[in-house]
Amino acid sequence: MIEVRNLYKAFKKVVAVQDVSFTAPDGCITGLLGPNGAGKTTTLRILYTILKPGKGTAVVDGYDVATQGRDVQRRIGVLPDSIGLYPRLTAREHIRYYGRLHGQSGATLEAQIDDLLKLLDMNDIADRRTEGFSHGQRLKVAIARALVHQPQNLLLDEPTNGLDVMSTRAMRAVIRRLRDEGKCVLFSSHVMQEVSALCEQIVIIARGQVVATGAPDELRQATGQPNLEDAFVAAIGSEEGLML
Amino acid sequence: MLERILIVFRKELTDNLRDRRTLMGALFYPLLGPLLMLLLFNVIATQFSEQIDAVLRLPVAGAEHAPGLVQFLEQNGAEIVPAPANPEDEVRLGNYDVVLIIPSGYADDFSAGRPATVRLVVDNSRQTASVMVDRATRLLEAYSAQIGALRLVARGVSPTVGEALALEEMDVATPQSQAASFLNLMPYFMIFSVFIGGTGIAIDATAGERERGSLEPLLINPVARGELVLGKLGAVIVFTLASVLETLLGFAVMLNFVSLEQFGLRISLDPRVLAGIFLLTLPMMLLAASLQIIIATFTRSFKEAQNYLSFLPLIPALPGMFLAFLPIKAELWTMLIPTFGQQLLINQLMRGEPVSALNVAVSALVTLAVALVLIFAAAQLYEREQVVLGR
Repeated sequence: MIEVRNLYKAFKKVVAVQDVSFTAPDGCITGLLGPNGAGKTTTLRILYTILKPGKGTAVVDGYDVATQGRDVQRRIGVLPDSIGLYPRLTAREHIRYYGRLHGQSGATLEAQIDDLLKLLDMNDIADRRTEGFSHGQRLKVAIARALVHQPQNLLLDEPTNGLDVMSTRAMRAVIRRLRDEGKCVLFSSHVMQEVSALCEQIVIIARGQVVATGAPDELRQATGQPNLEDAFVAAIGSEEGLML
Repeated sequence: MLERILIVFRKELTDNLRDRRTLMGALFYPLLGPLLMLLLFNVIATQFSEQIDAVLRLPVAGAEHAPGLVQFLEQNGAEIVPAPANPEDEVRLGNYDVVLIIPSGYADDFSAGRPATVRLVVDNSRQTASVMVDRATRLLEAYSAQIGALRLVARGVSPTVGEALALEEMDVATPQSQAASFLNLMPYFMIFSVFIGGTGIAIDATAGERERGSLEPLLINPVARGELVLGKLGAVIVFTLASVLETLLGFAVMLNFVSLEQFGLRISLDPRVLAGIFLLTLPMMLLAASLQIIIATFTRSFKEAQNYLSFLPLIPALPGMFLAFLPIKAELWTMLIPTFGQQLLINQLMRGEPVSALNVAVSALVTLAVALVLIFAAAQLYEREQVVLGR
């Protein structure tokens, strides 16, 4: 479970996150929707301990991201903004490296890696060096290494960005499966379709602030729009930076 | 903690050992020093032995004006050959080392007891001709002194009256001293090797990691930033270690391959000296690796890091360059300067001079202390938010 209260973050004089509060419960897919530059990535970066909050608090399973970073890191699996790979290591070696950094080893780790390779349907690329991988293949490696320690909470920054239809469908299936296992899934997107297809709860962010929160039905009611897309636009106040 | 450091360390080693470019650089550069010295020694050796054994072939224009002088030259080992039509151009072009011109007025001046002019055409900008020019000059001076003395004797004056000084030149500008001054470059090449060996991997593990976008996900793992830095540092040191060992081995092979005896040099590079030099470089490796990591972390890109780091070996090597030509004694204050003290100590070891234990201890401790401060600074650098975002 992730709880965010009045988060604020500025870089020098540019305020990236003004006031963001929401709760992402376990067993639920929560979507952070907002146009580019709304503060989604900064919010996630604070949650996954790469940035320190300027004001406010963020708590993961009861651990504060600012003061108990190590405990938070053990409980989160992250697909961050940048998903760089090591071109000279194989997919399997990537997953193994992260597993080891999480304190796993031996037969347990190898079994876990095999499970992930199967889950993400990447047995054919498992032992190839990642140099020359397609975007979809790279994303799979990045997801697999984020899941290797079986984290309770998942933070995914634009997980389907740049994927083809087949890969997007596969990614959605994986996200739903994790939800069914009782995980807390939080992902960001500027694609309305993506959010409406997956999320039980939607947090709409614009200009560093939360402008609306709720289940799709609640959002429709609150904005008085019959259509979810119109509801988003009404909440944000502009169509700029959003994608259908 | 150690376990996580080792995980990072092993990953960086595996990764970089698969990189052909890093590997080739790491294998080639350490051999640069020994190869360069080998080349220098050979050039000096062949050049001097050729010139010293060679007959002085002296082209003379106007030999008919001075039969006495020509006879003297021939008696003293010169081979007189006809001069070319245009001596000045020929010497300038390097076709002749030296040409002697005897003007037609020579005989008159000589008979009258006036200084008779002879002209030696030389090109002082050409080093290779210097031996021939010196020999010709010396022969002419000898003839002049001999005739002068005869004239004084003919007038009933002792020839020694005209000599206020008895100049004796002790020639040390021989191949020996030149070779020795080149050998002074060896400590320089050792430092070069320390600072070049880990360059590739240091860049890949820091600036490269950020440029690839793999730093952000890496930092989300439950690993202290200091542990990451130590793991990467360890991998850099392994590459540096290999580089230094390679350079030492190169020198050992070279100094056995080229016999130094022919230069009259006695340089002992037995295994004990090599081990001593190796131990002296150990604290510097820590210093070099931490410096490389800090600089490469600060830079904005892989390319920028490469520019700075390939320049780095030159800085600590500068004092070593001076050392080759300017002898500085290994005094205690010099030991306070990391890398400089070690160069002096390596020099002493090489020459079989006694090495003071205090000097070794001071230089090692100062270098280690500076290295530890740098490692701490590197770890701090990774605690900052900017390390992921770039600047």
